[in-house]
Amino acid sequence: MTTAFWIITIVTLLGALLAVTLRNLVHCVLSLILFFLGIAGHYFLLRADFFGTVQILIYIGAVAVLILFAIMLTRNVTGEEGPREILGMKWWSGAVIAALVAGVLLHAVRRDATAAVASSAPKPLSVADLGRALVGDWVVPFEGMAVLLTAALIGAVVIALEEVQRRR
Amino acid sequence: MTLTLGHYLGMSAILFAIGLAGALTRRNAINVLMSIEIMFNAGILNLIAAWHFRYFESLTPQLFAVFAVTIAAAESALGLALVIAVYRHYRSVNVEEMTALRG
Repeated sequence: MTTAFWIITIVTLLGALLAVTLRNLVHCVLSLILFFLGIAGHYFLLRADFFGTVQILIYIGAVAVLILFAIMLTRNVTGEEGPREILGMKWWSGAVIAALVAGVLLHAVRRDATAAVASSAPKPLSVADLGRALVGDWVVPFEGMAVLLTAALIGAVVIALEEVQRRR
Repeated sequence: MTLTLGHYLGMSAILFAIGLAGALTRRNAINVLMSIEIMFNAGILNLIAAWHFRYFESLTPQLFAVFAVTIAAAESALGLALVIAVYRHYRSVNVEEMTALRG
């Protein structure tokens, strides 16, 4: 398990790094897909099989395609950034803030959480357990999520359509 | 060497910092949204790792992760709709040119 962890970690970190540093937007999305795949691999390694599947379905199947469509709608199809600078004017302050956050988080992790070792539980949770909990004890937040998703769907359509109606 | 919760938390911290750096430094709004997705994923991975190492019998961390994934998906759809609306208005997705609310 340790070897698999390090391999998947390297893939994940590489995907994330390339996704925030590459110049071509489409290449960024492809690196992001690599990152999502790495996260899914971590889920499978942690025996959260349902979440590995959900990760692939939602993030690679929906979010990455959504981002590709947004790139196609907002610029030429190749996603080339052109000769202009990809970083903002004060990018160094953002980099410093990110480095500080990383330092604080890693310090907290080192101090606190190195002791926990995997529990040797007999069976992983099944999808049936999750489903039963979702319509049992957790039915109110579940229905809340349904309302939120509907609101987000309607909101996304309204926001994206607004300008078109005004122009007519 | 056995894997501990600390390995996963440390990796998530690094991923979160990478996403934060991308969100704060890139000038393309779509890139900023992609960086936010990286940060979301790092956070959700923390939930699953904590479930695996500490609360293996409990359903609660997994259900929290279900809701977090749902909110993240709704957020990305709304964010991209906003990017498209902003592009129609400014003809650009450069976050430095979106200055209508600057005081």
